[in-house]
Amino acid sequence: MFPSRSKMKVKILNWHAVASWTWDAQDETCGICRMAFDGCCPDCKYPGDDCPLIWGACNHSFHLHCILKWVNSQTSQPHCPMCRREWQFKAWEQRRRGFQLETPGQC
Amino acid sequence: MDSLAEESFGEILENWGGFVACTETLLKGKGDPSVGSQLVPLVATLCVHGLGSLAQDHFLQSLAETFKTNVVSKFWQQFHAYRDGPRLNVHEDWREEVLNKSVEEMWTDHEDWHEEVLNKSLDEICTERSYMEKCVLVLVHALQSYDEGITKGNIEFQHLHSHLISRFQLMVSSVLLTTLPLHFPEVLRLYFRKKLEELSTIIAGEYEDGCESQIDDHYFNQQTKRSHLGDMDTIGTYSAIAISNDNSLVKSIGKVVRELRSLGFTSLTEDAYASAIFLLLKNKVHSLAGDEYRSPVLQSIKDWIQAVPLQFLNALLVYLGESIDYDSSASGLKSPLASCPFSYPGIDTPSEGLVRWQLRLEYFAYETLQDLRIGKLFEIIVDYPDSSPAIEDLKKCLEHTGQHSKLVESFVSSLRYRLLTAGASTNDILHQYVSTIKALRTIDPAGVFLEAVGEHIRDYLRGRKDTIKCIVTMLTDGTGGNSSGAGNSGESLLEELTRDAENQENADCDEDINSDEKQAWLSAERWEPDPVEVDPSKCGRSRRKIDILAMMVSIIGSKDQLVNEYRVMLAEKLLNKSDYDIDSEIRTLELLKIHFGESSMQRCEIMTNDLIHSKRTNASIKASIPQPSLEGADQGKTNLPLNILDVTIISSNFWPPIQEETVNVPSSVDQLLSDYSKRFHEIKTPRKLLWKKNLGTVKLELQFEDRTIQFTVTPVHATIIMQFQEQTSWTSTNLAAAIGIPVDLLNRRINFWVCKGILAESVGKDSNDHVFTLVEDMMDPNRNGLTSSGYEGLITADEERERSVASVEEQLRKEMTIYEKFIEGMLTNFGSLSLDRIHNSLKMFCLAEPPYDKSLQQLQSFLSSLVSEEKLEMRDGMYFLKK
Ligand SMILES: [Zn+2]
Ligand SMILES: [Zn+2]
Ligand SMILES: [Zn+2]
Repeated sequence: MFPSRSKMKVKILNWHAVASWTWDAQDETCGICRMAFDGCCPDCKYPGDDCPLIWGACNHSFHLHCILKWVNSQTSQPHCPMCRREWQFKAWEQRRRGFQLETPGQC
Repeated sequence: MDSLAEESFGEILENWGGFVACTETLLKGKGDPSVGSQLVPLVATLCVHGLGSLAQDHFLQSLAETFKTNVVSKFWQQFHAYRDGPRLNVHEDWREEVLNKSVEEMWTDHEDWHEEVLNKSLDEICTERSYMEKCVLVLVHALQSYDEGITKGNIEFQHLHSHLISRFQLMVSSVLLTTLPLHFPEVLRLYFRKKLEELSTIIAGEYEDGCESQIDDHYFNQQTKRSHLGDMDTIGTYSAIAISNDNSLVKSIGKVVRELRSLGFTSLTEDAYASAIFLLLKNKVHSLAGDEYRSPVLQSIKDWIQAVPLQFLNALLVYLGESIDYDSSASGLKSPLASCPFSYPGIDTPSEGLVRWQLRLEYFAYETLQDLRIGKLFEIIVDYPDSSPAIEDLKKCLEHTGQHSKLVESFVSSLRYRLLTAGASTNDILHQYVSTIKALRTIDPAGVFLEAVGEHIRDYLRGRKDTIKCIVTMLTDGTGGNSSGAGNSGESLLEELTRDAENQENADCDEDINSDEKQAWLSAERWEPDPVEVDPSKCGRSRRKIDILAMMVSIIGSKDQLVNEYRVMLAEKLLNKSDYDIDSEIRTLELLKIHFGESSMQRCEIMTNDLIHSKRTNASIKASIPQPSLEGADQGKTNLPLNILDVTIISSNFWPPIQEETVNVPSSVDQLLSDYSKRFHEIKTPRKLLWKKNLGTVKLELQFEDRTIQFTVTPVHATIIMQFQEQTSWTSTNLAAAIGIPVDLLNRRINFWVCKGILAESVGKDSNDHVFTLVEDMMDPNRNGLTSSGYEGLITADEERERSVASVEEQLRKEMTIYEKFIEGMLTNFGSLSLDRIHNSLKMFCLAEPPYDKSLQQLQSFLSSLVSEEKLEMRDGMYFLKK
């Protein structure tokens, strides 16, 4: 039996694949509401675009809605609930660059 | 004194002898007028001596003797011939037999036998009787002549006359009744039956001829102009034909009735024609109703009652001179029935007797029809909603008879032996259940009966594994692909229920449930009403809505379980069908939200949202990448175009657990997936994709030199067949390694291609290692039904496809395994435990993480899976460790 080159060709007309999305974060759950990042905050119905994550300058991430509530509830200068450093939103470009340069962990 | 006494004594003896002789002559001789005058002095003398009453006694006794020996025995002899007739003395079977035989058959056997005999012998006996009555009158006359000599008053005579006549009557009837042969009532019944049949045939013929007035005037006075009035609205029923009391048929019957009455057979006669009428009515009900469920029959039956038996009875009563309302004058108590708005065609003022007859007959008709329908309720419900006329009829019957409990008992027992059996599919049981609910809502708006019936069905269904799945499919699947196809196809049960609920909302305020009706049900069943529903404050209507959905949910146990099952089924559908009709699923979801609340359906909503978002993402990613024009390029070599790829991107936290298997998809596909991933990450930063490469669907075309065939398969199937492009033959081990899946999985999946005739299987050097070879030349074009360029529809048989998501049972199983040891421990200690005991113990003792929070149903299904794994045994509701 000699494996020979086949005269059959397979043409793919449509490949319907399945994937799940996930936030590219270090943690699994939000440190504020304890809900999964891939879920949503207690105030939201739909995960993903409707309930995004946000990174602080310290590189901790939270549900946007959770950290906003936290920040607004602080009377003085807000701190990161995880590391107690002064809370600052990480700039989008900065974060993207950070990923591209693969230099995480500036916390 | 002595001489006087002796003289008198002699006189008395002499006169007595004369009286006795005279009496004998009178009774034997036929109408000798001289006897009467001879009797007068004799009686007078006897009366003088105070022997008047003795003379009367003797006279009547002689009459009785003569009547008995000469007349009665002869009369009964006339009917001897019919004593042994099979239909005459088999009393018990008689009705049945009549029911089974057509009337014609019955009567052609008998010709006119006893009509003649009966008429003739009745005539004879009545002649004899009236002669004897005359004899009594002779005696009365004799006594009267004596009386006139003493007192001058008619009162005594009147009294004497009626006294003697009634004694005579009593004598006649007692002689006849004490000698009555057993078969005589049957003879009478048959006679009346025959006569009524004749009458009925004439009227029916009349009806069919459409009143073209070829009725013999001799028989009928036709009164076609009259119409039914009052509550008897007539729809193509018998025209109003009044049977006049001088109709010869009625006359001849009336004569017989009159003669029978004069012989003291009043009640016997009435019984006979009553039973004949009832039998006729029963036959009529059976022939009209029979197995016909799709048209109403009750009205026709009622019309027939009006047209035949009541007409007959009226004519008879008129003939007998009893049409006058004899009751109203007799007592101040007027029957409440008299005010009933009955109307009789051709009868101006129905007597109360006739009204009573109508009520009797109608009640009998209700009962007969009701029994007939109840006996066939199962079939009627199978035929629902086409059979709704039969249900309506049954409802009306029950309203009159109040025998609801009969229906419950009968239906529950027919359910037991016809539906709740191992042979019936869960689907069929559920469909019948739903039809039952729908059909009986009409009869039982209070839902009391359904409660009882439902309990049996629910208990039974809880023992079946596929119940939840079937219910969910039934509720949500609008394709109508499921067996019994009752109801609109294309509309799910849920849609129908929602629409019904809306309609009910609108219609509800008009119709208020008749509280009597509910009371009838409750008393029929003696059930405690559901206390929650008894609250009558709601909008003034105490109506308990029959909520089919709630009844379905109660089979499952809780709505959460139903929602869970739905979610798993939804996941399967969404993942396995590339061009799934998401709109209809969203519609279903909206309906479920209405019934179960938004929060229960949230996860499902996220699932459908994922699909909608995926479509958008696909479009934007494809638009963002310039498509190289690869038309006609060799897919095997170059990169695949991105436009062949669609991705369903799921929010996995909200989906049921996904069954993940690794598979090395072809590198060209892998490249495509990672291109897509990259693009996604760019657009949706900081989100990224995790591929479930074993999931999804692939539509592909196998191109041979002489033919092309299309298939829709899973990614694993596609990966397998694509390996045969490079190499036409593979051993299973090598192929499994190349694809990166376990050999047993490969063997299962590759079987699909073998079945389709694309690959051939042979045993390799190692007997465990199969060799698969591409079948390149189509030796037999008909093989496996393949035709060139034929499109092989969707994937395969179900067993071929492995599930994409974990089933509810599998999830439950996972969650329950931590309790398995605990259950085993308990059973070791206690030997055997009931479901409830186990459930309660778990609740009591398993408080640690994670606390036991399962429902009884969930525990039951877990235990039954342990039973099927032969770890446990179940007997009489108790669980044991399997030894
Ligand atoms: Zn949060
Ligand atoms: Zn949120
Ligand atoms: Zn921090």
